[in-house]
Amino acid sequence: MIKVEALKKQFDDLTVLESIDFSVKKGEVVCLIGPSGSGKTTLLRCLNLLEIPNNGTISISNKTVVFDKKAPTKKEMLALRSFSGMVFQGFHLFPHKTVIENIIEAPLTVKKKKKLELINEGEQLLEKVGMFEHRNKYPDALSGGQQQRAAIARALMMEPEVMLFDEPTSALDPQLVREVLKVIEKLAKEGQTMVIVTHEMNFARRIADRVLFMDNGYIIEEGPANEVLEQPKEKRTKQFLQLLDDTE
Amino acid sequence: MIEWFNQIQWEYLYDPELAWNSVPVLLEGLKITMIIAFFSMFFALILGILIGIMSMSKLLFLRMPAKIYISFMRGTPLLVFLFILYYGIPVLGVEFRSPIVAAIVGMSMNFAAYNAEVIRSAIMSVPRGQWEASASLQMGYIQTLRRIIIPQATRIALPPTFNIFMDIIKGTSLASIITVQELLYSSRLVAGRTFDSMTMYITAAIIYWIVCIILGYFQDRLEKRYNRYLSVR
Ligand SMILES: Nc1ncnc2c1ncn2[C@@H]1O[C@H](COP(=O)(O)OP(=O)(O)OP(=O)(O)O)[C@@H](O)[C@H]1O
Ligand SMILES: [Mg+2]
Repeated sequence: MIKVEALKKQFDDLTVLESIDFSVKKGEVVCLIGPSGSGKTTLLRCLNLLEIPNNGTISISNKTVVFDKKAPTKKEMLALRSFSGMVFQGFHLFPHKTVIENIIEAPLTVKKKKKLELINEGEQLLEKVGMFEHRNKYPDALSGGQQQRAAIARALMMEPEVMLFDEPTSALDPQLVREVLKVIEKLAKEGQTMVIVTHEMNFARRIADRVLFMDNGYIIEEGPANEVLEQPKEKRTKQFLQLLDDTE
Repeated sequence: MIEWFNQIQWEYLYDPELAWNSVPVLLEGLKITMIIAFFSMFFALILGILIGIMSMSKLLFLRMPAKIYISFMRGTPLLVFLFILYYGIPVLGVEFRSPIVAAIVGMSMNFAAYNAEVIRSAIMSVPRGQWEASASLQMGYIQTLRRIIIPQATRIALPPTFNIFMDIIKGTSLASIITVQELLYSSRLVAGRTFDSMTMYITAAIIYWIVCIILGYFQDRLEKRYNRYLSVR
C-alpha cells in the first residue's frame, strides 16, 4: 500500500530525514515512535505532501512519485495526496463551520458530490465516531476529544486508502484520550490502513501490527509491536523506551 | 462655578432655530458627502483587497509594487494627495471634470492602502493549520481562500475596516478644500452668511456623528453574524 524509498528531507541546512525506507501493507497498522525532533511529523507530512521531500520515492496505492532536484508536477503530487488522509495533533477543524459542514466541505467542493448524499454519508460516519448528536455544533463548542473525532471523520470522508495520524491525542486532556483511541481502534478492526505517530506505548502495543522506531533521520528498528517494544535490539531504542518508563 | 455657567450667553454658542432652518442646505451637502463616502468605501475596499493579496504574493513583481504603493499612500497626507490630483494632474492635460470625482479617486486610492494592510494582517492571522488541513483534504488555493480563509479573515478584518470607513466619512470633509460642496462646505457657507460659525459647525459635527452611529450599527450586526460560531465563555 505504501512504499517509501531513500526519502530525504532538508530544511535549509538541517537534514531532518536522511534516508527513510519502509513499507506498509494494505490493512496494516503501523506505529511510528521516536524521540522528539527525530522527524516523525516531517515524515508523515511528506507522505501527505504538506512537505515536499528533496529526494527519494513515495508510492501509495498505485501511484509512484519520484522526488529529485526537479520537483514533480503539481498534478502528480495531488494524485499522490489523494490516497492519504491526515489527522493533526491540533485538529484544525474549520471553526466557522459546524461539524457536519466541516466533514462534507472537501467532498462537496473537491469531488463535487451531491450535498444531500454527503449529509447522509456524513451522518453515518459521525455515528461511527460517536459525534452524531454534535453534528450541528461549531468546533468551539466541543471538547478536544470531540474535535479530534470530528477531524478523523473529516479525513475519512475523502475515503483515503491510508490514514495518517500525527500524535492524535497529545493535545488532549488525559480523560479525553481514550475516546479518541477507541475510534482509531475501531478503524483498525475494520481494516483501515494507518500510520500513527504516537507516544502512547500501551496503545501502540495494543493496536500496531508493526512498530517503526525513528531517530536522527533514519528508521533504526522495526518489527512486530511486542518485539520492538518488549525486546528492542538497538541500543537507542532501548534508551528511548527506558526513558519513557522512567517518566511514567 | 454656577456663576460662570450663568454668564455664558448660550444663544451665541448654539442657536437651535438657525440650525433647524439650515437643515435643507446641510442635507444637500450631506448628499454629496455620502456619495463621495460611498464610492470611496467601495473602491477602497476592492482596490484594497487586490493590493492586500498582491502584497502577500511570493512573486516579487506583484509584491513589490503593492508594498511601494502602500508605503506611499500611508506616508503622504490625504490632503496633499488631493491637491496633487486636483491641481497638479491638469498640468499633464488630464483634468477631473468635477472635484467630486477627484475626491473619490483620491480617497479611494489613499484608503485602499489602509484596507490592504488590514486585509493582509487578517489573512495572515488565520492559523497556518487551516491552510494545511484544507490542502490535505485536496482543496485548491482559490477554494481554500474563498471557503476557509476569507470567512475567518473577514471576522478579524471587520472592526478595523469599519474604522477605515468612518475615517472615510470624516475624511470627505477634506474635499471641501478642493471646492467640493459637501457637508462642511455647506455649513461654512451658512456660517459666513449668518456670522454664526459655532452653531453651524456643531450642527455639522452632530450630522457626521449620526452618520457614523448608523455605520456603527451595521458594524455591530455584521460582527454578530461573523462571531456566531464562537461560543461565549
Ligand atoms: N518547517 C520547518 N522548518 C525548519 N525546520 C523544521 C521545520 N519543521 C520541522 N523542523 C525541524 O525538523 C526537526 C524534526 O521535526 P519534527 O516535527 O518532524 O519532529 P518530531 O519527531 O515530530 O518531534 P515531536 O515528537 O516533538 O513532535 C526538528 O528539529 C524541527 O525543528
Ligand atoms: Mg511531531
